[in-house]
Amino acid sequence: MFFFHSPICAFTVYSITISLIIIKQNLSMNLLYTISLSIILSVSLFSQTKISGKITDENNQPLPGANIYLKDTYDGVSSEADGTFSFTTDEEGEFELIVSFVGYQSYSEKIVLDKKEKFLEIKLKEETTELGTVVISAGSFEASDENKAVILRPLDIVTTGSDADIYSALETLPGTQQIGETEGLFVRGGSANETKTIIDDMVVQNPFYSSVPDIPARGRFSAFQFKGTVFSTGGYSAQYGQALSSVLVLKTQDLAPKNLTAINIMALGFGGSHSQRWENSSMSVEAGYYNLGPYFKIQKQRTDWDKAPEGFDGSVNYRLQTSKTGMLKVFLSYSIGDLSLRFPNLDSVSYKNYFYQKSKNFFINTNYHDILFDDWTLFAGYSVGIDNEDDEIDSDIAGKDDIFHTAKITISKNIFSNSFLTFGGELQNLDHKSFFSQLNGSFIETYFAGYVESDIFFTSDFAGRIGVRLENSKVIDKTNIAPRLSFAYRLGTYDQLNFAYGRFYQTPDPSFLLYSKNYDFENSDHYILNYQYIGSERTFRVEVYYKNYGKLAKGSVQSYPNFNLPQVDYTSNGSGYAQGIDIFWRDRETFDYMDYWISYSYLDTKRDYKNFPKLAAPTFTAPHTFSIVAKRWIPEIATQVGLTYTYASGRPYFNPNNPEFLGDRGKDFQNLSLNASILTSLFNSFTIIFFSVDNILGYENIYGYNYSTDGSRSAPILPPALRTAFIGMFISLGETNPY
Amino acid sequence: MKRSLSILLSLLFLTVAIADDKYEKEIKKNLEKIDECKTPNDYIKLANNFERIAAAEKDKWLPYYYGAFVYVLASYTDSVNSRKDIYLDKAFKFIGLADSLMPNNSEIYTLKGMISQARMQIDPMNRWQKYGADATANLTKAMQIDTLNPRPEYLIGVGTFYTPQQFGGGPTAAKPILEKSLAKYEKFIPESEIAPNWGKGQLEEILNQINQNK
Repeated sequence: MFFFHSPICAFTVYSITISLIIIKQNLSMNLLYTISLSIILSVSLFSQTKISGKITDENNQPLPGANIYLKDTYDGVSSEADGTFSFTTDEEGEFELIVSFVGYQSYSEKIVLDKKEKFLEIKLKEETTELGTVVISAGSFEASDENKAVILRPLDIVTTGSDADIYSALETLPGTQQIGETEGLFVRGGSANETKTIIDDMVVQNPFYSSVPDIPARGRFSAFQFKGTVFSTGGYSAQYGQALSSVLVLKTQDLAPKNLTAINIMALGFGGSHSQRWENSSMSVEAGYYNLGPYFKIQKQRTDWDKAPEGFDGSVNYRLQTSKTGMLKVFLSYSIGDLSLRFPNLDSVSYKNYFYQKSKNFFINTNYHDILFDDWTLFAGYSVGIDNEDDEIDSDIAGKDDIFHTAKITISKNIFSNSFLTFGGELQNLDHKSFFSQLNGSFIETYFAGYVESDIFFTSDFAGRIGVRLENSKVIDKTNIAPRLSFAYRLGTYDQLNFAYGRFYQTPDPSFLLYSKNYDFENSDHYILNYQYIGSERTFRVEVYYKNYGKLAKGSVQSYPNFNLPQVDYTSNGSGYAQGIDIFWRDRETFDYMDYWISYSYLDTKRDYKNFPKLAAPTFTAPHTFSIVAKRWIPEIATQVGLTYTYASGRPYFNPNNPEFLGDRGKDFQNLSLNASILTSLFNSFTIIFFSVDNILGYENIYGYNYSTDGSRSAPILPPALRTAFIGMFISLGETNPY
Repeated sequence: MKRSLSILLSLLFLTVAIADDKYEKEIKKNLEKIDECKTPNDYIKLANNFERIAAAEKDKWLPYYYGAFVYVLASYTDSVNSRKDIYLDKAFKFIGLADSLMPNNSEIYTLKGMISQARMQIDPMNRWQKYGADATANLTKAMQIDTLNPRPEYLIGVGTFYTPQQFGGGPTAAKPILEKSLAKYEKFIPESEIAPNWGKGQLEEILNQINQNK
């Protein structure tokens, strides 16, 4: 075979051996052969070419172990410790010299072998998809299964905090606030609705179970469904919009690896799932029932529950691998639940307000992703979210209906080496209805956005992302153009500097649009400077930012804060700013089996929005937030134990008796929670027993105060229980050996 | 002249045969070097040799197979996790090339399973779900293709041996699997001198260890 690839080579190298064999076998050769063989022999002896040189990286550091060889021949060598190499070849003519090395781009060069010694100095470029290349990362935290260095792993999300909720885990990262009385991510001075959750590139209008005043709701989506998470606390890509502060981008799992049935039993309910895998497709079905009633009987609650939360949720994930590169994903989720409770009416000593809520959420996301014509990537998706909430507040009936359609298409093309051009469009339609007693309000919003963005690697040390997004909102009849920039410069193998600037727009919240359509887009500008070191086991990151808010919606809307303040007109005259520093340190190396991370955020922010009479620090902002998460794997008992400690300095609260608006500061917040995941085997099936207790030290946290209409009485806003304990068991049926 | 032509033809035939012989010799020479390797760099140099053979012998799957195998061994020796992943990326690329040259081969699927196992070992807590399933799928397929191949069971046995008892692992659980593999090793006849024929020594070592601790 070898012979056909390289006839010259076969003759020169092997003719010596062949001729010797023939000489041995046939001593009486004829003259013709003697001559021909001696010619071949002479060619063999005098045709060697010596090739030597040195292999280095772009910074002239020698690379030992690089593979240098002539294509289609056996001739070659590995480079030495000082990067030098040397070998000889019997080949003649034009050949391709190849240099390859793990983690570096292969190099090739045509050389002519003419018996003259060759000396080559070759610089290899790092493979840009590998660790150690600059990554555009200002403002974002990534959790992923992929090989490259990321700050979190998907499992970290499940094993952090006390309730295996994605949002609680993210609250241990810098830039977020510890807000106990309501759900949502409050990022860098932004309110919860300034953060958007995006699943497989499609916006989810409502990612939480419906909420109750002063009690936070959990996220509706199970952390186990996602293979990757990018949490951006600012300066994010032009592919996302309608979020003044932050986006949480979740990527669902690909094909289920195998057939698997699992059941879970928790203090709060039970559920099961089944994944079925076929050759090119898979389907996973998950269903769960929860009822907090029994749990509330054991764990005394401060909240006066009339009917403890009870509900059902289910999801279906279908995956179809359409080609080597193409994947169709369908994700469907449904949940239904209800609850009722009484809460004290501060205007009356004996009377308690009654609140009943029934909610239904439906979400379907169908999307297709493929690589076409080698270097074109296509993404197309369509999603529908239907959220329905029916409330009874004393004798009044209230509720809300949202139907939210999104269609999105993104095309990406590799323009040169690792640089990409991405463009696409997004169309959203929101049909919002809301009613309270006899009052009905509704509007239909059609929103369009188009975006162009390019990721350019100027060198392997310097990369930039330049994008622009154009948005149009029909309900307010306004158009905007939002530029986004992000640059990353690599300082060394593991550290880099990042800078990002971006302008972000958001249509005012539905609660304003029900009263007036005469609004403009709310906007914010982000300026972010970041330094990060990402080693394989240690990560350090420090980020300073300045954020400027403009055209925030103002107006006295029925929703919070409904304190007795002068009536405010519906205008876009609000404004604000936020500035601060976020620090993150993670270390998995120093202590055996132990992994910990520390976050600290400093925040200085004021805003004038809603019915604020002036610029003030809002109730959801604490100047100092600190958290430490430590996890230790104890191999002897196959258990992971985690501790999470969180501290936040006191937040502002509204006291109608204080002439200074939002001039009061609440108590510091502290929480130490413990969780343990015991990996074991039950009924011959792989089982995880999860156990957690929150607020071990019994610190009395107060989230703020509610006041009576006349301001004479007040009551603290407290967590529903001093401590919360949780126990759950996850059994993978028939799964005996995960290793 | 007729005679010289026939000599010339036989010479041509011989050259091809000897070229093949040369290929086998090169593979054999490099296989012998595996045991001499100590540092990751030794393994990389050896993998380079296999890569060179693979690049010259475009229709042979074994050089890629051994290249991948040696990169897996390199990942066992290195102490830095990120570098281990880079070696395994390369092993994964090589075994993919081997697979495209020789589809449905039990040894190739065995090595695919070995790569998944090595990936998992880097960070078992976070990776067992994905790579544990990958390893099982590949090793099961390897056993289905060739029921006489002792290596898939050897790897499953080793995996079980190092798995904590709580997950159904440990020496007691591993022993019957390893013994089954050993029985297959006793009967195993490699297709050629250079065909995959590794694992028996290490298997016997582990079995000795299990038996001594009893």
